[in-house]
Amino acid sequence: MSKVIAVLKREYLEVVRKKSFIIMTILGPFLMAALMFLPMLLVTRGLEEKHVVVVDGTGRLAAVFSGGDETEGRAEERLDLPGAARQARRTPGSLALRTEYVASTGDPRAAAQPYLDRMLGKHGEVKLDGVLVVAADAFSNPDAELTYYSRAATDFVTQERLAGMVNRAVSRGRLAAKGIDAAEADQLLRRLKLEPVKLTRTGEEKKGGELGFLVAFVFVALLMIPNIIYGQEVMRGIVAEKSERVMEILISSMPSMSLLSGKILGLAAVGLTQIGIWMAMGALLAGYAGAGLAMSGFDPSQFLSVGIIPAFFVFYVLGYLIYVCVYAVAGAISNSEKEAQQFMGPLIMVMMIPWFLAMPIISNPESTLAIVFSLIPVFTPITMFMRIVVSEPPFWQVLLSVALSLGTIVVMLWATAKIFRVGILSYGKRPTAAELWRWLRVA
Amino acid sequence: MPDETVLRVERVTKTFGPVRAVDDLSFAVAAGTITGLLGRNGAGKTTTLRMINGIFLPDTGRIELLGAADVAAVRDRVGYLPEERGLYRKMKVIEHLLFLAEIKGQPLPRARQRAERWLERFELADKRTARVEELSKGNQQKVQIIGALLHDPELVILDEPLSGLDPVNVVLVRGILQELRASGKTVLLSTHMMGEAEKTVDDIVLIHRGTAVLAGGLDEVRAAHGTDTVHLAFEGDGAFLTTLPGVARARLDTNAAELELRPGACTQELLAAAMERLRILRFEVAAPSLEQIFIDKVGGGTPSEPAAGAAEVRR
Repeated sequence: MSKVIAVLKREYLEVVRKKSFIIMTILGPFLMAALMFLPMLLVTRGLEEKHVVVVDGTGRLAAVFSGGDETEGRAEERLDLPGAARQARRTPGSLALRTEYVASTGDPRAAAQPYLDRMLGKHGEVKLDGVLVVAADAFSNPDAELTYYSRAATDFVTQERLAGMVNRAVSRGRLAAKGIDAAEADQLLRRLKLEPVKLTRTGEEKKGGELGFLVAFVFVALLMIPNIIYGQEVMRGIVAEKSERVMEILISSMPSMSLLSGKILGLAAVGLTQIGIWMAMGALLAGYAGAGLAMSGFDPSQFLSVGIIPAFFVFYVLGYLIYVCVYAVAGAISNSEKEAQQFMGPLIMVMMIPWFLAMPIISNPESTLAIVFSLIPVFTPITMFMRIVVSEPPFWQVLLSVALSLGTIVVMLWATAKIFRVGILSYGKRPTAAELWRWLRVA
Repeated sequence: MPDETVLRVERVTKTFGPVRAVDDLSFAVAAGTITGLLGRNGAGKTTTLRMINGIFLPDTGRIELLGAADVAAVRDRVGYLPEERGLYRKMKVIEHLLFLAEIKGQPLPRARQRAERWLERFELADKRTARVEELSKGNQQKVQIIGALLHDPELVILDEPLSGLDPVNVVLVRGILQELRASGKTVLLSTHMMGEAEKTVDDIVLIHRGTAVLAGGLDEVRAAHGTDTVHLAFEGDGAFLTTLPGVARARLDTNAAELELRPGACTQELLAAAMERLRILRFEVAAPSLEQIFIDKVGGGTPSEPAAGAAEVRR
């Protein structure tokens, strides 16, 4: 045991004293925040103002687009948006949209042609991002269409906004045709706001589902990123010990299981130290921001329950131990870091599966997909943790997940220690299956 | 405690794929001796030492170490300097030594005391807080030798301990090995340098192609090979020495020669003949050198085949 501690201590001190560790620990939260908020910000802002020409075949929509800048009516439209756009619109800040209105009496498509040319830059004129064509029979024909031309058809936010504006005006017009006046029409068209409320088993009501979504992602990233970083560190350490030839001394001084345990625990401690520091930084920041937020009615307990913290540490350790075994094997059977990376490539893809499935699992934590993945041994720590953050999985499932993880860890540690023992000294040649089997029995 | 056996290797065989690195090897090491495991490159020395240290398992045969059948039971009582020298390059010398002591089960305060003393002894005291990578290769090797001695082991196993050291350090290390023996410890070292072995060891085990071809006390081994060899040191061109009557076989170096005499040859005549043309610095009639015995035994003719070279698995 004292040997395990000796190795643990050495590994811990070696990593913690590195400059890269100190820098990463200080900058990590900022990098992570930047990574998360930047894309959202960019999607929402679209980087800059959008300039759209509306070619109106009906000639009756001038009032809608006369304002030029449009910011009204956002709240009503948000629920029409598809998933991606909804997520994007979550961050504050409105989409800057500048419209140019053109009434057309003939074929609106033909009238739009010069603008389409302009959009494609044929005349080298001012920039134009899109052209919306409203069919002439929009008010009378229920199957009439709006056509939006742009160089990229993927700007859902702009499309939905324009569609909402036109549809509202058209609905108003249709109601007016039935003799209902404008004020009354607005009343009729008024949409109701939907407020997501999370109900816990203890009967608490929690709002702020959107922020909960974000928090879930932060925690899952916090769970996975250190696993991968320190898994790599274990792998790199083993490869280095092989190439620096320290291994012979180590392995003649202690059982391979002690060596492996010491390394794994040492780097787990490094990971926990780092996360601890990050959490302290977060808490400190939250403490400063908290006072201001409380005044504006923001309540962190609405989306973050205290129970998440212990769950986080339990599943962090479980996930880490599973991942790190795979990395240790890669290091043990490889002769260079490059070789080990190649070996890990496909395995990382497999281990990242929970991350790729984070979106559907977080939005549907009780779906069959989520339940099944949260009970598959290798994926269980991360997937179950995702479910715990956003919902309350049945207690037996949580217990089963922990039990499955522990079982997986025992089997993997055992096999890893054996493979490790053979792998670390077979410089230059991979162990044969027969050799491996012999070591599995004897070592 | 002479006559007590600290290490017994019995009919041990180890193969790596098609290569038989160690082949039915048996020998024993008596307590309180410095025993040399001698052999050419690729003879199986390193593989043998690795098996003794439990790094490789023998395919067949058994190894008894300090009375235990399982190396794991006694590993804290054994010190080991591997042939593949290796230390954590980024660690400070003193920290590294303490780590090496800790993984041999030593309590820290005692280890610290001993480490300081050994650093002093090896003239490394001023390097105690230097990083390992800042040290010269010879100094790194000395640090590693300290690592093998730090936990006061009963048996010290050193794979080529003197290679890479300058003459001053060679004398230093040799002196320390003799002190260890004097304090009742046992030393097993491997080397392919017979001259070094001759000055250092009590007993030898000569292995060739994985098996022991000669074993015993150095003096007995030499005596068994006769006392009919003339060792000469001189100034001048000694080429003619090989053609003198009475010389059965000769090995000529620059300014030195080892001449094996025919039965009944007169050493006085030989000396007279040599004196005519050379300035004689040394003339000694004695047993053949270990080097000569070694060459006789393993034959200069058949160099170690590639298979044997690959036997010491690495890279």
